[in-house]
Amino acid sequence: MHETPEIKRVRLLMRMALLWAAIIFARLVYLQVFQHSTLKHVADLQHAHQMTVEVPRGTIFDRNGVPLAKSETLESVCVNPRRVPDAEVAADMLSGILDVDSKALRAKIADTAKDDGGFLWVQRFISREQSERLRSLNLDWIEFRTESRRVHPNGQLAAHVIGTVNSEQKGDSGLELSMNSDLTGMPGEIRLETDPKRRVFGSEVERSAIPGKDITLTIDSRIQYVAERELALAVENAHPRTASVVVLDAKTAEVLALANWPTFNPDDPVRNSSDLAARNDVAVTSPYEPGSVFKVVTLSSALETTDLRPESIIPCMNGVLRLGRRVIREAHGGYGKLSLADVLAKSSNIGAIQIAMRMGQDNQHAYVEKFGFGQATGIPLPSESRGTLRKKWQATSFASVAIGHEIAVTAVQLAQACDVVANNGVLLPPRLIIKKQRSDEPPEYEPAARPRTVLRPEIAITMRQLMEGVVLHGTGRRARLTGYTAGGKTGTAQIFDRATHSYGRYYNGSFMGFAPVGNPAIVIVVTLNGTTGGAAGYGGVVAGPVFKQVATAALRILDVPRDLPDDFKDDSNENVDMNDLSIAGLDPTTGSELMSQTQSLAQASKPPGQAFFVGPVAVSNVVVGPKVPDFRGMSMRDVILRAGEAGVSVETIGHGIARAQSPLPGMMVPAEEQVKVQFSR
Amino acid sequence: MASLATVYNRILGAKVAPEIETPAVVVDQADSLRAIPNEDIYLFVKDIDNSRVIRQADPKARIDCWRMIVSGGIAVTFLVGMLLPGAASRIAGYQIQTLKQDQQKLLNDKAALELDEARLLSPARLEQLAKRQQFIDPAPQKIIYLDAKPGAIALNVKK
Repeated sequence: MHETPEIKRVRLLMRMALLWAAIIFARLVYLQVFQHSTLKHVADLQHAHQMTVEVPRGTIFDRNGVPLAKSETLESVCVNPRRVPDAEVAADMLSGILDVDSKALRAKIADTAKDDGGFLWVQRFISREQSERLRSLNLDWIEFRTESRRVHPNGQLAAHVIGTVNSEQKGDSGLELSMNSDLTGMPGEIRLETDPKRRVFGSEVERSAIPGKDITLTIDSRIQYVAERELALAVENAHPRTASVVVLDAKTAEVLALANWPTFNPDDPVRNSSDLAARNDVAVTSPYEPGSVFKVVTLSSALETTDLRPESIIPCMNGVLRLGRRVIREAHGGYGKLSLADVLAKSSNIGAIQIAMRMGQDNQHAYVEKFGFGQATGIPLPSESRGTLRKKWQATSFASVAIGHEIAVTAVQLAQACDVVANNGVLLPPRLIIKKQRSDEPPEYEPAARPRTVLRPEIAITMRQLMEGVVLHGTGRRARLTGYTAGGKTGTAQIFDRATHSYGRYYNGSFMGFAPVGNPAIVIVVTLNGTTGGAAGYGGVVAGPVFKQVATAALRILDVPRDLPDDFKDDSNENVDMNDLSIAGLDPTTGSELMSQTQSLAQASKPPGQAFFVGPVAVSNVVVGPKVPDFRGMSMRDVILRAGEAGVSVETIGHGIARAQSPLPGMMVPAEEQVKVQFSR
Repeated sequence: MASLATVYNRILGAKVAPEIETPAVVVDQADSLRAIPNEDIYLFVKDIDNSRVIRQADPKARIDCWRMIVSGGIAVTFLVGMLLPGAASRIAGYQIQTLKQDQQKLLNDKAALELDEARLLSPARLEQLAKRQQFIDPAPQKIIYLDAKPGAIALNVKK
């Protein structure tokens, strides 16, 4: 077939197009197959960017969901001094919006540019308004960096519990440190695809970011606030070196408040050594000699291990006790004989030592351990102290320990021990964390610790009654609550002066107690370390009122029903002696010699299972007199009738129904002694 | 078929130039320059009357033409179909990134508001306000709890 010139031209054109296509195809094959990896890398550099996705630190909430510590994402401003066209204009412009000094900034920019530096922080953590104003300037030499900052919306509230973070947002103290691994998430990696104008149009998650866990504490910020407020007031009055308040839920041992003084604001940086000292969590890390509050442990153990009962009469030797050649004197004149209940109420040192003797050193040591002393409670706060409980006691250690010396405890340990009495003899370690939860995961509830029985329930109840006596007519009268029954024990321990190797004139004033007595809801331990001596420094005087205020507020916040009428007023024993100073003069070295002699004397008459029972101060349980009936709940008429039947004389106070009595039911009283019965409507 | 010149003249509306008589040129062979190429060619407009031309029917060409158009359409549609998802994806990508930025901004704002709320509800501030307004502590069991919204952190939330 004859081809026309047109067809020839078309054919030629097609061949050329085919060749062109073939060349393109070959080029494509070369680029996309043989040069694939190289070109992909080059392309990635141009339009793909790797970015680290920072995750915020977990939030710390109180038990009601109130944030106590939360991370806030804010922007910081920096400039590239080399790109700043005019340092003076730039400084004026930036200082007009930010809180920076114009002259100082100008000098910084100039100096950095002079040193050929390409980066200078102008201000960290600017507000959103400042950020928007700066962005609206649209200047390419102003750069923004997103940074995270820990914020504490309630200021210093629960500062020691929460703790602080450092500049890298890592835990430094408190829960921030101990729970750092939970609070800190894991940053993610993300691949961003950008267009030539650096606008992101695609992203691919290469490694998912894992956010930090939010932690819900057992702390109630309202109770915590009251505890801190009242502690500050007490500090103002008593001028202690340090102080602390621990509030526990009596049933669960959950820490409702843990306050220390001195305190600090976690948002403020450390400027000097006093700032640093203020960050010490005294209640957890600083053990001290507890003094008379420890008599609760002594008496509880004695009730558990001996045949002593609250009504048992303890000879208090008119305030002078001889241990071999050593003489121990009562701090406040002394008593002849006291019932065991009164030994606690009046905080008799000699009475407590007598009871400890009756119990025996082995039993005493074992029960001190059972109450959790000498061991960390396991509260999840850093640097918890185990306190000091020596494995081997010296000869007079039993006497010292009976009244809260030669042993060092923390406020948290004391609260745990007091909770044993409040919680029917069961020891529960203090609990600070309710749950941990990541935003997209179910909550992880903290398992409750295994409870351990320390006292029989009836002994715990008896101890509660005895401790109520301390508040009603003993050294703890200033801790008495309105509308609620309360029990507790005061303590005033002389502080050992390391310089002079003797007990000085400074006191540790403490109060530990619970309320209400019938069904305790809270346990509170108040400690003021280093109060100035004298009557103004006694535990009942300085710590009792703190207990009263904190307990009143906590019971109201927790909606605990009242168990006393508002107008109930026990006006007996108005002039009660508040002196509960425990003897600190038991020198261990001399005591050792003395007790070795005393022990040899005591061996002959030592009852089975008892380490010491010193002859001259042997305790007699026998008292002649009628047994006191239980008048509580009776009308005045019934009380009088019942008293007549029992052969006891009564002194009635108030009107209505009998609410309280002293001595307690079941005690034997001498015929000449009156039973005081408090009535109220 | 119209030449380029015809089209040009039609557009500009130029009239057909009258035929110009070529003047007799007396050429002095001795002094004359060599003629430039095509010097003797003159362009002129030639009227062609196509009114009597009848287009011959060519169904094959018509079919080819339509086939070409349809093929081209299909090719374009295919090409657009191929490119459209990518373009849509790109546009959606921009939108997603914008929304993500908005979401992050809103989350930051929410966190800031929560902090503000916590600051406003701090016990210290509430007590300060209460003292300023000479409030006194309510008696126990005289507190009325308000119904709270789910997730509210107001302090009077009944547990």
